[in-house]
Amino acid sequence: MLKKIILLLFISVISLYGLEEQNIQKVMDSKVRQVLNTLKDKTLSHHQKDKKNIRVIDDVFDYSTMAKISLGKKWKSLSTSEKSQFTKAFEGKIKHSYLDKLRLYNNQKVNIKNLKKVKSNRITLETQVIGVDDTYKVVYLFYKNKQNNQWYIYDVELVGVSILQTYRKQFAEFLKTKTVNQLIKSL
Amino acid sequence: MKLLYISLFILFFTFQGCATKEASPESNSDQLQTELTASEEPQQEIIKTEETQTEEFDDEFEEEFSQNESNDTYDPLSGYNRAMTTFNDNVIIYGLTPVSKAYAAILPQPLRLGISNAVHNLQFPIRFTNNLLQGKFQNASNELERFIVNSTVGLAGLMDPAKHYMNIHPHKEDFGQTLGHYGVGPGFHVVVPFIGPSNVRDIAGITLDAYLSPLVNVRGLENYKIPQNFAESVAIYTVHLINKTSLHLGEYEDLRKDAVDLYPFLRDIYEQKRDSEIAE
Repeated sequence: MLKKIILLLFISVISLYGLEEQNIQKVMDSKVRQVLNTLKDKTLSHHQKDKKNIRVIDDVFDYSTMAKISLGKKWKSLSTSEKSQFTKAFEGKIKHSYLDKLRLYNNQKVNIKNLKKVKSNRITLETQVIGVDDTYKVVYLFYKNKQNNQWYIYDVELVGVSILQTYRKQFAEFLKTKTVNQLIKSL
Repeated sequence: MKLLYISLFILFFTFQGCATKEASPESNSDQLQTELTASEEPQQEIIKTEETQTEEFDDEFEEEFSQNESNDTYDPLSGYNRAMTTFNDNVIIYGLTPVSKAYAAILPQPLRLGISNAVHNLQFPIRFTNNLLQGKFQNASNELERFIVNSTVGLAGLMDPAKHYMNIHPHKEDFGQTLGHYGVGPGFHVVVPFIGPSNVRDIAGITLDAYLSPLVNVRGLENYKIPQNFAESVAIYTVHLINKTSLHLGEYEDLRKDAVDLYPFLRDIYEQKRDSEIAE
């Protein structure tokens, strides 16, 4: 019993603080399985499922880096309070969109395929979602955080479409005519 | 063994400090800076080095993402495209989706899947030819095998034993991809009514594909084609579209929620997806 508890603590601790390089595949595999199990669990309400699933991904997704990338060069011109407001709004948007996608889950299988080290501080993890009539490629992009040498997800590519790239384009277009505050509100 | 877990636990616990610090490096250093405006100099220097570090790090991301960004600024039809996107959006939401839902309620999923497989199987000439044109001979021969197996054992393509039992997977290629493969750029973006986002290159591709597809009538090729006139082609396309949508209910509605502005959103997704298909 004690062993189990310690093991559990141990696992939850790894997942709390980004990922070690050699653990990426293993931890992502277990995360995917956790999410799928939650989705399959019929005793849970939608709300409970959402909460559980968000907890699973929270520690590997680096929302603040994502928010920064999504604004690109514009980021530097924001005031500190705008930055934190935007990051918060963007984080909410990403989570919502992720949960919406999960709601469509219908017993698809997910295979973790291969890990590729693109650069010394970039790793991509390819996964495959097998749907009823088609197979979709989903790639998770990791970067290495210099301070603690842990790996975090900064982008996800669904069938070749980078999520952050689509946000970047949209935000750039939006900000041509409107202000950052309007953008934060529309998120 | 327990000792190992405990020591690992402690080890990871010590990492906590670094990770939480990292959680918002930008806002932290900024806040510090405002607090410190008139205080000791050495501390400011430390902050400065930290800032240049994060800046370098930002630039690296910036480079990575701006690489693929420059190409779609030319959009001469944006006014028309925008209007057509709204039109297509309404067609999907008020027409296609409700019809597909009703259709899905009547026909069981295995049957709908069978129809989808059969249509896919009939489009074999497009995939085969374009794999050959791109010099992907292994893929072309896989497609040929799939066509032979699925047309016979798979009951005219209703089933897909090639994939499920022989592990031979399809390789989607069309003329648009072939053109892209040989360096033809996408041209400007065009939204086609009832079909959706496309561009000059892919419209040329679709036109060429129509000659190969047995499901689109072309005058003079009636012997090879299933539909004998335009109306029949449209009917087949519509059924195919409803059938396909019935297998993916809710996905479009879900996707469009991510949009801040629907037209550039769909345009960008389309162009990115095509680029990655061509690169494969």
